[in-house]
Amino acid sequence: MSKWRQQVSKWMMQKMDLPADVVMDLPRITMIGQLHIYIENHRGVLAFSNEELKLKLKQGVLVIEGEGFLIKTVMPEEILLEGKISGVRFSDQQVQERGKGASR
Amino acid sequence: MKAGWNEKLGGYVKIAVVGPGGNQFLNDCMEKRLPVWDIRRVSESSFTCSLPLSRVKEARAILKGTKTKIRFIEKKGTPFLVKKLWKRNGIIIGLTSFLAILLLLSNMVWNINVTGANAKTEYELRKAAAAIGVKKGKLIFFLPDARQLQKKLTDQMDNVTWIGVTQKGTAYHFQVVEKELPYKPPVHGPQHLVAAKDAVIHDLFVEKGQPLIRVNDSVKKGSLLVSGYIGKDKHAKLVSAKGKVMGEVWYQSQVEIPLSTTFSTYTGKKTDHHFISFGKLPVPVWGFSKDDYKHSTKSRDEKNVRFLKWEIPVSYVKEQVRETDGVKREYSAEEAEKVARHMASQDLLKKLPEGAEILEEKVWRKSLSDGKVKLTMLYLVIENIASVQPIPIQQGE
Repeated sequence: MSKWRQQVSKWMMQKMDLPADVVMDLPRITMIGQLHIYIENHRGVLAFSNEELKLKLKQGVLVIEGEGFLIKTVMPEEILLEGKISGVRFSDQQVQERGKGASR
Repeated sequence: MKAGWNEKLGGYVKIAVVGPGGNQFLNDCMEKRLPVWDIRRVSESSFTCSLPLSRVKEARAILKGTKTKIRFIEKKGTPFLVKKLWKRNGIIIGLTSFLAILLLLSNMVWNINVTGANAKTEYELRKAAAAIGVKKGKLIFFLPDARQLQKKLTDQMDNVTWIGVTQKGTAYHFQVVEKELPYKPPVHGPQHLVAAKDAVIHDLFVEKGQPLIRVNDSVKKGSLLVSGYIGKDKHAKLVSAKGKVMGEVWYQSQVEIPLSTTFSTYTGKKTDHHFISFGKLPVPVWGFSKDDYKHSTKSRDEKNVRFLKWEIPVSYVKEQVRETDGVKREYSAEEAEKVARHMASQDLLKKLPEGAEILEEKVWRKSLSDGKVKLTMLYLVIENIASVQPIPIQQGE
């Protein structure tokens, strides 16, 4: 059922010219150089340390790597991270149990 | 989010979250829309973050479910600043009370100077001024202003001609001009009595001198009534003529009285309003009752507040609203005439010298126009018409 729904929304996005993040509930990531990263539409913090931030998404996990991280703001579905960002990576790893995934 | 003015105003705390449930805490905060910012990992099991003071309780409630503890690191914002300042309240209280006392002292009477008066008058003046309230240590707000003071004092003191009151800061200065009561010379030297006015002699009583007129004689102004020369030829002598010569004198006076007059009287009801005005903005401090008088008059009294030698744009304003009563008076033509006649005779008596009396009064002309009664009255008055004329002494006969 959900697979069918996903296909419908993908089709809508392509045919009707609707923004993908709205239609498909995907994260929207905005970066300013290496300094700031702004992620909308996330589903919670999985792990957070000075070098890594793992965010739960609707599907999969977003891993942000770098150094000197400082979360400037957290709001439901929005997060603003400051620091020196060296990489943003999507990983398909299974969602970890909440609360367990502390830092490395 | 950097702590904005909004957060600073309400106060915020920086806390350390210690324990394995740190991420859970963050996620719960997000869910409950509890604003948290500046999250930094400190060690593997702890991080620091900031949250508003007003929501610390909620944060504690969230923590209860997790295996974490919090520790307060810093307290920032107005509430804490105020608390900190309050610790130094001695200074603040001292500073404000110093200013208050200085302000109070700037508005007190400190000095009263009197110039131009002898010791007795000065003592009396100081006493009269003290009775009005001008004393050392009195607040200037509650004293009448210099002009009123001047009028009151001049009215009260009867042995001075004029008192000038000037207020310079905290000092009052009275300048006095003393009355020089005219010295009445005793009657001496030879003199005649002459007529002061055109008159018909009604009665005469001569103590000294040679009367030259009789009752019912008509005299002109300046004519000799009682001569200072007595005796005949060789026995002639100069004396100081003395006596009373009552003469009948005609007076004419005009009065005008409107048939209807409206005039307002105070009913005795009044409302006071007190303000402290800053610049042009009056802030009411006392007397909030509404005055719903139909007719009223308003008087306003403003006193400036001084600070040391300067006048500051703060003043104390007292407003008095007095209820008035519009009274309309109507006269009929006869009533008006009667009143007019009474008024005219009262008026005349005021002008006449002592001992004079009205013998006869006549309405000479009467007219009614424009709602006014106009009367021209004639009065026959008996008064002393004798006035003194000294006789120049001729030397070397």
